[in-house]
Amino acid sequence: MSTSTSGDLILLVPGPIDTDALIRHVRTGADGAIVTFDGCVRNQSHGRRTLYLDYEAYESMALAKMREIAAEVHAKFPIDRVAVAHRLGRLEIGETSVFIAVSAPHRAAAFDACRFAIDTLKRSVPIWKKEYFEDGAVWADGELPPVPQDTQSRKRAS
Amino acid sequence: MSNVTSAIQVKVLFFGRLKEVAGGAEESVDLPPGSRIEELFATFVARLPELARYRSSLVASRNQEFAPWSTPLHPGDEIAFLPPVSGG
Repeated sequence: MSTSTSGDLILLVPGPIDTDALIRHVRTGADGAIVTFDGCVRNQSHGRRTLYLDYEAYESMALAKMREIAAEVHAKFPIDRVAVAHRLGRLEIGETSVFIAVSAPHRAAAFDACRFAIDTLKRSVPIWKKEYFEDGAVWADGELPPVPQDTQSRKRAS
Repeated sequence: MSNVTSAIQVKVLFFGRLKEVAGGAEESVDLPPGSRIEELFATFVARLPELARYRSSLVASRNQEFAPWSTPLHPGDEIAFLPPVSGG
């Protein structure tokens, strides 16, 4: 089990994600499995027909958080390499918005690590999605990231 | 802001819907020494009262780390106000 993150690849990209390149990046002779997650743009949201999406990020922090996720994945699972790419800007229906590839000597760790990586990304990486419909646009409902314990908070009024 | 000479200057960033409400993505703000993220947000609410209703549904960050509202500010800090994230 490698705890090194030097073989990882973490990207924010303005154009189409080269998913084959990410898979090639994590593939080494030590691996018996590569698990990938391809998050793509769905054609509807809560029954409303989606025209396209527009993603924006707090880029410096998003990259830092994505690197933290990769480091956490190495600490938790016996895997080899992680590649994570998130696309920004306008995306059409069916296009890939996020792609994750994890390699490992054995498949169970690769599946678990890939699932952990996308679940954590969705609740802690500062990226936002605006959904465009025929009759308007809305910022997608999201998750409020966990904030470290507030050690200096004032005493409760009670 | 009585003591301007020792004011703390911080960079403030807004994202997502907050950027639209605040009318901009980035701004420099001077605050009295000892100010915390809470007071920084309050200066924006004083100017744009509609921001108040987002207070319970956003998190703050200081220098690219999520930070509690009580976090003290230091000169040159980069503070961001972040709505619920929706990447992926």
